[in-house]
Amino acid sequence: MDQLQIESIDPVASTVTFSLDHELYPRDALYAAAYVFLDRAYVLLDRAGDRYLVHLRAKQALPEAELRAFGGELANELLAQTLRHRVVKANQSLIEQITALAITGAVGARSRAGEIAGDTSSDVGSSEETAAAEFLDDPLGLGTPWQDKKDPV
Amino acid sequence: MSCTTVRFHRDLYQRAAIEEAAALFAEFARFGVGRDGEHFVVTVNGIDAEVEGDVVAEFCNFALANSANALRGLD
Repeated sequence: MDQLQIESIDPVASTVTFSLDHELYPRDALYAAAYVFLDRAYVLLDRAGDRYLVHLRAKQALPEAELRAFGGELANELLAQTLRHRVVKANQSLIEQITALAITGAVGARSRAGEIAGDTSSDVGSSEETAAAEFLDDPLGLGTPWQDKKDPV
Repeated sequence: MSCTTVRFHRDLYQRAAIEEAAALFAEFARFGVGRDGEHFVVTVNGIDAEVEGDVVAEFCNFALANSANALRGLD
């Protein structure tokens, strides 16, 4: 049986129904592929035995050729989303490690800023006060009015 | 008064996602959600005749989008 096949097509009602083997693509990929059509078509997913059914009704009247082209687009999207799903799954631990490192780095940078400001206490209130104090610092003199810079008293 | 029935397969649609979509479209029609075997059965009554577009079909799109988002953990 074909991977993706047209079950029915009705150009008058601008509807087409595709079916595909439910074991061939993960459900995530089916959702993601169907999502792509939401702006152009009304989508209803169903399942009949071991096959998923994808009912599409175009929001605007379309000729039969374009309805059939939905099938190719759906197949491409299913493939792309399945690959994306696999890549994410294969690199899940790496993604989590990089995210954890990024978050740890951000927290560390804030702690170091507190130490530089001479505040080594770790309670939340103190670190917020330190952050506020840093905000008021103006080491480059950007807050000094232009007139004061030009004519120092 | 017309009554439309839509069947959502329970493998593919979540009840919460359907009910969320029904709540969103509540001002345009009355929705009732039930179960029948492997499907959720939604009855749609009293569709506002003055509303442009297809309320039931738009409701189906929202139910699908909500289900997909819930599965991805975007909600």
